Amino acid sequence: MASTVETDLSRPPDTYVDVRTQELQINMGPQHPSTHGVLRVALWVDGEIVTRAEPDIGYLHRCAEKIGESVTHVQYVPYTDRYDYLAAMNNNLGYCLAVERLAELEIPEKAQYLRVIMSELNRIASHLMSVGTYGIDIGAFTAFFYAFREREEILRLLEWICGARLTYNYIRIGGVMRDAPQGWVEDVQRFLDWFEPRMDEFNQLLTHNHIFVERTSNIGVITVEQAHDYALSGPNLRGSGVRWDLRRDQPYLLYDRFEFDIPVGTGIKGTVGDCWDRYWVRILEIGESARIVRQALAQMPKEGEVMAKGVRHLAFKPKAGEAYTAVENPRGELGYYLISEGGQISYRSRIRAPSFCNLSILEALLPGTMLGDSVAIIGSIDIVLGEVDR
Amino acid sequence: MLTYARNIRDTVMTTLKGMQITLRNLRRPETTVQYPEEQCEIKPGYRGFHTLDQEICILCFQCAKICPVDCIEMAATRVEKKFLSWEQFTVDYNKCLFCDLCVEVCPVDCIHMDRKTGPSQYAVITDDRTTLNIDLLIYRGLSETGVKAVDKLRADKAAAAAKPAPAPAAPPSAPAAPRTTEGA
Amino acid sequence: MTMTLASAGSIESAVAASAAGSGFWLTTLLGLVLLLGFVALWPMFAIWLERKVAADFQSRMGPMYCGGFHGWLQSLADGIKLAMKEDLIPRDSDRFLFWIAPAVAFFGVFAAFIALPIAEGWQIADVDLGLLFILAISSIGTLGIVMAGWSSNNKWSLYGAMREAAQLVSYEIPLSIALLSPLLVVGSLRLGDIVAFQSAADGKSLIYWSGNGWFALYSPWTLLAGVIYYISSLAECKRAPFDLPEAESELVAGFHTEYSGLRFSFFFLEEYAMMFIVSAIGVLVFLGGWQPLPWISIDFAALGFLGKLVCVGVVLFKAVFLVWVQIWLRWTLPRLRIDQVMVTGYKYLTPLSFLALVMTSLCVHCGDRVIPTLF
Repeated sequence: MASTVETDLSRPPDTYVDVRTQELQINMGPQHPSTHGVLRVALWVDGEIVTRAEPDIGYLHRCAEKIGESVTHVQYVPYTDRYDYLAAMNNNLGYCLAVERLAELEIPEKAQYLRVIMSELNRIASHLMSVGTYGIDIGAFTAFFYAFREREEILRLLEWICGARLTYNYIRIGGVMRDAPQGWVEDVQRFLDWFEPRMDEFNQLLTHNHIFVERTSNIGVITVEQAHDYALSGPNLRGSGVRWDLRRDQPYLLYDRFEFDIPVGTGIKGTVGDCWDRYWVRILEIGESARIVRQALAQMPKEGEVMAKGVRHLAFKPKAGEAYTAVENPRGELGYYLISEGGQISYRSRIRAPSFCNLSILEALLPGTMLGDSVAIIGSIDIVLGEVDR
Repeated sequence: MLTYARNIRDTVMTTLKGMQITLRNLRRPETTVQYPEEQCEIKPGYRGFHTLDQEICILCFQCAKICPVDCIEMAATRVEKKFLSWEQFTVDYNKCLFCDLCVEVCPVDCIHMDRKTGPSQYAVITDDRTTLNIDLLIYRGLSETGVKAVDKLRADKAAAAAKPAPAPAAPPSAPAAPRTTEGA
Repeated sequence: MTMTLASAGSIESAVAASAAGSGFWLTTLLGLVLLLGFVALWPMFAIWLERKVAADFQSRMGPMYCGGFHGWLQSLADGIKLAMKEDLIPRDSDRFLFWIAPAVAFFGVFAAFIALPIAEGWQIADVDLGLLFILAISSIGTLGIVMAGWSSNNKWSLYGAMREAAQLVSYEIPLSIALLSPLLVVGSLRLGDIVAFQSAADGKSLIYWSGNGWFALYSPWTLLAGVIYYISSLAECKRAPFDLPEAESELVAGFHTEYSGLRFSFFFLEEYAMMFIVSAIGVLVFLGGWQPLPWISIDFAALGFLGKLVCVGVVLFKAVFLVWVQIWLRWTLPRLRIDQVMVTGYKYLTPLSFLALVMTSLCVHCGDRVIPTLF
């Protein structure tokens, strides 16, 4: 007798009044504070649980690969800065290595040391940005400012040596643009000494905070099989326990001369491969990069050429052929595939962007999580839309 | 029960630790630089707006060719086949990447990127994109030394033309007629 | 029953007072005008304080230009800017609800100020059920926020509103139960009585030793109740770590995404006024109200008007201190997810507040303070 609804048996059953719930289709739209760029993730949500997710990209497409077919190799290097704009040195490096392989150029030793130092400094800056903005996604605003205060010092050092803060065009075909000015090496060492205690402080503020751990552990677990299926690389792969790093497994530049560890996720706070593990891998990588920079500064020759002989800007022609080089971007494996017909302009310059492959796992990771968790997961994959859309 | 107590303990202790860190940073001096009253130190080698050393430029067009976005436009006429009468040398800062390739490629080292500030004091905010198409020329036409040299050249030419015609062709053993300075 | 008797009592006294011509309406009107001024000016100060304190924690300066000295007029400039903005109403929104939502939210908090005493006898309405009245009226704000989220015709705002409804309603429980512990000891809901208990006067001298002390120091159970009250009040104000309803990085601005201009400023006023209310309640109930020091109490009644002003200053200072701690917590801690908010509220805070209540009641029964000697 509790039912207050009249059940008229002459009508078919599906017209009874009933509580019906519907899935809500919601756009984590291109304009959203937490999607790290213009990314649209179409979510189908049941209450707070996500049932389906579809990433939608292309909002930042700038025809990068097509531009590679209309400007010369030397002219293309500034364009490469702008894909993963947070780790521009590594982008320059990958492209220059590919062209140099085609042209069979010999790079002077000091230039190689400078390239290593720049790549690692940029890796620290990129990871600081990544963990800082991850803090904002989880709600801790102050950690972001501390990370950026440290990052500001790195940008100041990079501005001193090459004149620009974000898009450097420093690593050029044949070497690097300029030698380090007087006092730069000491300043980098001073920075590293100042910086390492600050990272401990940052860890105490954010990394070990119980609320942060509760928000990120056991969330977005990527298994090793999933990581391999979706072609993940970088901290996303290492967070799941796979010890694969291109600097050690396919060494380029002078990475075989340095001693450094490859941090992997071990599931200390939850499960192996959860968001906290990926975040922790990035924090540890900052320390490892600082180690590499110290060793490189100690080993770098004081005098030396920084640019290979014979690279003429307006007449540079690599040999005909194909080359694929992969470098370890802060986000994963950044690959450049060049097809050259022996002219000044390449026939095809293809970029294998790590964030593009990393992003594809959202489809599999997001269903089943809560809406607050989807923000944490997207943040932990650490994508840069400039790279995804090129 | 144990995890319950551990959760409470972890939350309270990490919260207090975090609060201690923010309190410590409260007492540190700020890192803000109050622009524009204070300025950050900009080291030499900073890639800012361009400056052109007009006297030295030889109009080789190498910087315009190397520019990845074709933002340099220059035009000048050659006077007396040697001197440049400048009309235009604009850099379109709507497009410029500040990549420094034009500086690298210049054979006579006449273009530099070191001007720290732009055309206006603090920022360029405009709807008109032509505001950022900036002419780097300091003077138009010929330079002062150029004017003097051209005048001297023309005076010499005029003087040579006003001279009477040279002597008719001497016998083959005679020395050749003196060469004019024209066409040098 | 008690409510009608109390209100009948106060109306009687009001009628009697006006009949006797003792200026009841005049003082009430003066009080209301002062209150309106305070509620308009306090958010301006609080927003400036928040921006400066947040900046100091983050190694930067906050507002510096507006008004010269550390940008103290910045909030006024922002308020004028908000008032001059275009009044945007989304096309398919529920216009009536959209229109009254900020008003309802603000009203709930504004009305709570009426029963708040800032010195002995200095309140607009001396309600015998002061504490209950304040708690009940400030819950009306919840309704305004749910209306705002629903009427915006924006799915993200709806999320903010639903989360907010769940959170605010859930945290009323530990809030109220935590406040019951000192109430049991005092035996009265009237806020003036609670403060008087913490500084039990012997009527003989100006400065005297009060054995009771502040409730935060009275017994470990009331201290526990105080901590639970403070944490629950953070959730009531939608401040971090419970700031899901307006979670800036998830929901852009939560329930007030679609609001702009003066309507938005009402929500802002509501948030900061709520911060003051809960801090003021915390001060009056747990931190001794207008007594500057814990056990050494001053008989302010003997000091006249000047004494009352000192009382006001003390209460404001302590309330601003609690607001400062709220700001400190906001800029230190990350945000809890909604199910974690519910877990914290129901599984951690509520049982602990019940524990505090039970232990306090046993202590009161046995006449002890810390450990009840039942046998």
